[in-house]
Amino acid sequence: MIEDTQALLAPDRVAAGQASVARVVNQLRKVIIGKEQVIDEVVTALLARGHVLLEGLPGLGKTELVKALSRLLSLEVRRIQFTPDLLPTDVTGSLILQERDGKRDFVFHAGPIFTNLLLADEINRASPKTQAALLEAMQERRVTTFGVTRPLPAPFFVLATQNPIELEGTYPLPEAQLDRFMFKVDIAGVDQAVLEEILTTRVHGEPPPLEPVLTANDLAELFALVDAVHLPRAVANYIARLVATSHPTSADAPESVKTFVKYGSSPRAAISIGAAARGLALLRGKPNVGFDEVRRVAPAAMAHRLVLDYAARLEGWDGRRVVGALLEGVPEVERGLPRALEAR
Amino acid sequence: MLKRLQRRLAIGLFLDIWPAWAGAVLIVSGTIALVCRMFFVSASPILPWLWIAPILAAIPVLVVCMRRAYAPQQVAALADWLAGGQGILLTLLEKDDPAWAASPLTEKASRFQLPRFRFKAALTLLVPATLFLAVALMLPQRVPSHPANTVLAQEIASNLTAALVELKKQELITPAEEQKLEEEIERIQKSAEKRVDNSSWEAADALKEKVAAGLAEKQEAVKWAQDSLARYAAAVQAGGPADPRAKASAAELTAALEKLAQSGMMAGASPELKALLKSGKFPTDLAALQQLAMSISDQLGEANGKFAGLGKLGREFGRFNPSEFPLDGPSGPDGDGVPGRGGVNRGRADADLTWGQETARLDKFKSRPLPPGAPRSPDDWAPVVVLPGSPQEAAVLSAQAAARQYAAGAGQSAWRRSLAPRHQSAVKKYFDKDKKDKDK
Repeated sequence: MIEDTQALLAPDRVAAGQASVARVVNQLRKVIIGKEQVIDEVVTALLARGHVLLEGLPGLGKTELVKALSRLLSLEVRRIQFTPDLLPTDVTGSLILQERDGKRDFVFHAGPIFTNLLLADEINRASPKTQAALLEAMQERRVTTFGVTRPLPAPFFVLATQNPIELEGTYPLPEAQLDRFMFKVDIAGVDQAVLEEILTTRVHGEPPPLEPVLTANDLAELFALVDAVHLPRAVANYIARLVATSHPTSADAPESVKTFVKYGSSPRAAISIGAAARGLALLRGKPNVGFDEVRRVAPAAMAHRLVLDYAARLEGWDGRRVVGALLEGVPEVERGLPRALEAR
Repeated sequence: MLKRLQRRLAIGLFLDIWPAWAGAVLIVSGTIALVCRMFFVSASPILPWLWIAPILAAIPVLVVCMRRAYAPQQVAALADWLAGGQGILLTLLEKDDPAWAASPLTEKASRFQLPRFRFKAALTLLVPATLFLAVALMLPQRVPSHPANTVLAQEIASNLTAALVELKKQELITPAEEQKLEEEIERIQKSAEKRVDNSSWEAADALKEKVAAGLAEKQEAVKWAQDSLARYAAAVQAGGPADPRAKASAAELTAALEKLAQSGMMAGASPELKALLKSGKFPTDLAALQQLAMSISDQLGEANGKFAGLGKLGREFGRFNPSEFPLDGPSGPDGDGVPGRGGVNRGRADADLTWGQETARLDKFKSRPLPPGAPRSPDDWAPVVVLPGSPQEAAVLSAQAAARQYAAGAGQSAWRRSLAPRHQSAVKKYFDKDKKDKDK
């Protein structure tokens, strides 16, 4: 057991970190109008160094969000348009026979994955074989080709998009692949007021020009701050109970989980929730994680990790709704108030 | 704020546990009260103390509460949760950071509302349990039937036992008689415990009479011995030991003393007297005779003293009243032995009457006029009894109907009357004139 002897972050450091993140968020809000929650979730995942799967209909700003993020963070960004005929080597890179000084040799040509920010557009259109090429990269941040393992540049993020309605010619992501995404962010449509604002502020729909607000060093400092955010033991206990009760075999599982969930969340979900909650806490200018941060990040971190039963589809239950029921059913504190007391 | 929450949590924990315990204790107490009301009369005075049982139950509850008390981390977690789940209170508990302790974030998190008590929900359980105990205590005490028998049986036996003790104290009873009496008393008591009726009292009375008869017999024996001794002494003094009257008196005295010995009244006699009684030869010389008379007199006097000590017992023993049978002494209920004073022992019939102590003459009384009488007023009346219901009137018959009713039964009264068989033919012959006329 590792003794947590690290001191709390100083208020000024937290305030500086919050200000840095706020600059990014504010700039993103200028680009993506009316998607505050999506922006918060994506930024939170980035602060926690997690990958994000963006799911939404075409034209809702998924790609624009990623592009804006890359510009703001001064990161190298590459984009792969996933298609059914995309090969793994198209992602990871390949050895190319090359003649140099009259001597022929195989030279490794790095694929687009060797970047800081990878936009995997319409990831579910690639074959499972190509999708699997991302597994090692996303989890271990390295790529092995022809027996040689090469590390990816740090930081490395995958922001993948997928279209939920076009099912023909798509390959749904397997559970192992989904589990590697820290968040699955659902991008809903925009309302009339947002559309009106877009029309009035953008002639051809192009976003305003953005300048980088964070350097690589700033980002590294932010990551260090996020890691130093304190996670109280009672909050960690809450996360553990949330994930444990997502399994239908758990005695404390809510009725909806027992009915609609086939397999619960993995331990990686608990790790993701903890890391994302730290990121959100910094975003809010706090030196610690609270129950509220856990409640906020849990749906995005857990919903795509639950394997639902067919009955869930028949009854109209999705992952987010099950997580909502889970949050309702699992009390934040392990030992609640006595029955003779009630909260006001 | 955390301390206030901790206190409130402790009280809440107590209210979680104590009502259930107190309810259970009240129900158990009520059950105990019910059982005592039905079966244990003697427990009735201490039953109200059952009300303190819920208070006593608070002691183990306090121990349980102390063992289950909320830890500081749990209190901080609850405080944090009540404050909106910011986690800063938990963090400060784990990492004592003065910089954050004074921050606006902490200050905001510390201003949470304490949870309120739900007394109604917590104490609802106590109401039926309390009512149960109250009803159980208000029930009248059931007095079982057999204890009454026992009490009466003990009362009957105690009278007899007291008499036995008194007889034993006065040494008026032999060990054999004592054992027999004890057995009789025990038998009467056991019989009365099963069923008390007139036979129980009659058995006790019969035993008392039996004891009284035995005592009377012993008293008669003492008296007989005294009289015999007096006659023997008179005969020896008159004609000497060879005189036939003296011999007859000696035989009578021997028989009287033997009877006295058989009744156990000579148990305390001197060895010489016992030896003399055993030989049956009484002294003939005057000095020895006088000594014997003194010895026997002492013995008989002692016996008389024992009978006199039974005065208290006599009141308990219906017919036997030793004071009715004075062995000596000038006065008694039957007179003082003085001729002309009344009583069965007033002396010989031919004795001279003694004047001077007779009842006062009638003319010595003063006349006193009685108050004048007054006739009772007719209004001075009071109902003796009120009968339920209204009085029923007999149907008033018309003259014709009454005549018909009379005619229907006329002449039949003779038939209904029971007549001796030898008279029936004569009555028939006299009243059956119609039949005779028809025959003619």
